[in-house]
Amino acid sequence: MNTQRICQLGALVTALACGHAAAATTTDNSNATLIQHGHYAAIAGDCVACHTAPGGKPFAGGLPLPTPIGNIIATNITPSKTAGIGNYTEQQFSDALRRGIRADGAHLYPAMPYPSYAQISDADVQAMYAYFMHAVTPVDVATAPTRLPFPFNIRQSMAVWNLLFVDNKPFTPDPGKSPEWNRGAYLVRGLTHCSDCHSPRNLLMAKQSSRDLAGGELDAWLAPNITSDVNSGIGGWSSQDIVDDLRSGHATGKAQAAGGMAEAIDNSLQHLTSADLLAIATYLKAVPAQHDPADTQPVYSWGAAFDELDSLRGVPLPKDANQMSGAQIYDAYCSTCHQARGQGSFDGGLPSLFHNTATGRSQPGNLVMVILHGIQWQSHGTDVRMPGFAHELSDQQIATLGSWLTRHYGNPSASVSADQVKTLRAGGAPSHLLLITRLAMVVVVLVIIAIIGMLIRRKRRKARSTGHS
Amino acid sequence: MSLQSSADVVVIGSGICGSLAAWRFATQGASVLILEAGPRLDRGRIVAAFRNSTRRGDWMSPYPPSPWAPHPIYKPKDNGYLVQAGPYPYPAEYIRAVGGTTWHWAAQAWRLLPNDLRIKSLYGVGVDWPMTYEELDPWYQEAEEIIGVAGAPNTGSPRSKPFPMEPVAEPWSMRRFRERLAPSYAVVANTVARNSRSYGGRPACVGNNSCQPICPVNAQYTGDNAADAAEAAGAKLVPNAVVYRIEHDAQGRIAAVHYYDPDKTSHRVTGKTFILAANGIESPKLLLLSASSKYPNGLANSSGMVGRHLMDHPSSSLTFYADEELWLGRGPQSPSSINTLRDGAFRSEHAPYRLDFTNISQVYSVTQYLIKEGVYGPEFEKQLRWRAARQVNVKNVLEVLPDPDNRITLSSEKDAMGIPKPEAHYSIGDYTRRAADVSKADFARIAELMGGTGLRYSADGQFANNQHITGTMGMGSDPATSVTDGYGRTHDHENLFICSTGVMPTAATMNSTLTAIALALRTVNHIQPAPAPTSSTTSAAREESHA
Repeated sequence: MNTQRICQLGALVTALACGHAAAATTTDNSNATLIQHGHYAAIAGDCVACHTAPGGKPFAGGLPLPTPIGNIIATNITPSKTAGIGNYTEQQFSDALRRGIRADGAHLYPAMPYPSYAQISDADVQAMYAYFMHAVTPVDVATAPTRLPFPFNIRQSMAVWNLLFVDNKPFTPDPGKSPEWNRGAYLVRGLTHCSDCHSPRNLLMAKQSSRDLAGGELDAWLAPNITSDVNSGIGGWSSQDIVDDLRSGHATGKAQAAGGMAEAIDNSLQHLTSADLLAIATYLKAVPAQHDPADTQPVYSWGAAFDELDSLRGVPLPKDANQMSGAQIYDAYCSTCHQARGQGSFDGGLPSLFHNTATGRSQPGNLVMVILHGIQWQSHGTDVRMPGFAHELSDQQIATLGSWLTRHYGNPSASVSADQVKTLRAGGAPSHLLLITRLAMVVVVLVIIAIIGMLIRRKRRKARSTGHS
Repeated sequence: MSLQSSADVVVIGSGICGSLAAWRFATQGASVLILEAGPRLDRGRIVAAFRNSTRRGDWMSPYPPSPWAPHPIYKPKDNGYLVQAGPYPYPAEYIRAVGGTTWHWAAQAWRLLPNDLRIKSLYGVGVDWPMTYEELDPWYQEAEEIIGVAGAPNTGSPRSKPFPMEPVAEPWSMRRFRERLAPSYAVVANTVARNSRSYGGRPACVGNNSCQPICPVNAQYTGDNAADAAEAAGAKLVPNAVVYRIEHDAQGRIAAVHYYDPDKTSHRVTGKTFILAANGIESPKLLLLSASSKYPNGLANSSGMVGRHLMDHPSSSLTFYADEELWLGRGPQSPSSINTLRDGAFRSEHAPYRLDFTNISQVYSVTQYLIKEGVYGPEFEKQLRWRAARQVNVKNVLEVLPDPDNRITLSSEKDAMGIPKPEAHYSIGDYTRRAADVSKADFARIAELMGGTGLRYSADGQFANNQHITGTMGMGSDPATSVTDGYGRTHDHENLFICSTGVMPTAATMNSTLTAIALALRTVNHIQPAPAPTSSTTSAAREESHA
């Protein structure tokens, strides 16, 4: 099966998904079908997540994206000729999307996931171009420019980064694998850009391709390991579990989405066709396992129903809230929804806390993040709202609670410290990227000076020796 | 800690009215200082205290008073804070804490009826309000959008825009009442500030059935949400600040307020505008306490009306066993009622009323009853199951008329800070008692339609109180007979305004909170008109801005 064949297959699945089986080839799509196809691809790519500010007009940009080196302001990608991409040709659109190069030739920062989008097929790019040019309402309001510190303010520096880290070869199907696997691979590696969050990054923020999907960090959240490892990843999940999680943010007895994943499901994944979600599941279940030795059993498999009510009732609360026991804090703040024994509601609408990756992971950071910030997600008929407790619970209280939860409902080797809560409350560990880069530049400059010096010396020596010969 | 001693707007009381007024001022750029006599509370600790209490039926048990800012407590024994002068007891309950008494309300957020504002003209009783229902309508709407209200469209209170939210799902018990009482009585969803979906950053009701004493998930709007919003908008809130005197200048303008901290160190706070929002008992107490040589009867009291016209909603009730299992206790505590008796020509003869069905789980009360009766063992379980499944209760919510002899005065007794306690003078007039008699026929008919047995009427002449402290600082256009003008500005002091259920000239049949919020928003707008809304001020935007 060659590339073209796979692209056609992808387009076929997409077109079928859109309910336009008649327009099944990329050549005779009507304009409307093309736009609809592009709309679907834009949803799969989750363009809206970054390019629409809360309460703002769709794709008008303006959302500051926090990065370790400062905020990157998402741009206006409406077809406005003055403030957006209205003057872009299809080639320029393609270059921005897949190579990270703007119409004026400047480099985009890789907050734009062009290293993943490089895999997008020509057919999908063409359709997305049609969608953005004809179906998105132009907004003639320019966004604020992105201002990063030196050396990142020099966009050309990204050329070096790209050279070092970006493999911009288009998606190549594997003829030895099923069409589902290939469609899943195309989506996961490209449009849905799962690895942008779920893969670890090196010191210079590039994805470590050798540890694809082994888990990454984003805004103090852990985007967990989603490789096929049974303990650390999702090897023990059924395809249906994965599809459920991607569609509803909840896989019963396994996990629920929070943070950025809840957003990704809200904006993007829940709108994908069943066939595409199943393709993603098929691919993920076959991703090479990445094992963390700390995970001695599947992260979703820990814990059991438990309570300490007989030690609580009739006992007055300590005056100092920081002296409250884990059971007391659980009783006061959590048990109303998650129930007295952590079992959740009968229908799973309020999740159980045992058999839950939030408590079963060896790193309990996401548990802390959920306690701090809750889960808020309300759209398209979904209404999930776990309140955050950042305002009500101290670092010490969250540490006490978190450790109690992992001990009884989750992985007992994981415990939470007040310092850890303090760090996560402040948005995560500080990044040293800027310092490292500047140090690296100093080193590079020193090396260059040394090399030049050496060359000059050698040249002089050569000249001298020549002169003497 | 350095304490702020001056602000554009000084608000006394951080309950739902004071905090929403403060929030609105703060969002308009004013510097705002809120002085709250009580401490900060924490929802989780209230929940834990409630669950650990051996007196679950006492909704004040999770709210122990602080020594410096006591509030009335009656169980297990009367703490004597609200002194009773009689002739009829007035056991008002309220909470002095950040957020105020709505910590443990049932979120009943009712509008009045248009005719409630004109009972003197229409029925020759009570007084008319210095405004029409139509003038109040936009402020009701705004209040409903801020706190998130849902309800039935046919309660008799007209509205020009829809409710901001859909009603919470109807509990089974209420559905059966609705079905079996039709067509004799229309049972409709109550108008409540309770989320049927996520709203204002708070989750939907999940049916814990402990609205009183505490909603454990913050699904019903409570005053602490308003206080949080005010602080987020930039207002400064000082808890444990017991205001004991309001100070005026030579021209009669308010210059400052004085408060004690818990160590009884006195602090003075100056401001340009002062909002008194310390409920219908503590507010008049403070005005009376602030008497001076220029105002020997207390501030804002040239009419002598401060503290007078105390009103509430007395209730009599019928408890019985329905002939089918209804299992009260699923869903909110007070979901449905009958609203057709809130108005009519009969109002010239007797009080109107609302008929309200409880949906509070009967397990606790039946258990208490059976233990008292000496029922134990397997018979206990059998009886408990049978009774808890079938026991129901319907009560009336009766209007009382403004009577100058029903009043709050200063007691000769003093609290731990040396501040005089409030003293309640109360009686329930014949107008109200006649309505209680009339409503007994409704109770009987309802029991009959529900196949009721074991009918237990509350004793004749005995009324439960509903803690809807109203009146005491009534608004009106005549300074000789009212405390504030139609916008809550005291007739005597140009820069002193009252945001409280206390300004309501009559009590009607409805819980008073929503009306007080609407009046408070109207008062703030009168003091500092909001800039005209730009483009689209949607309720969603408002919801988010408040969240």
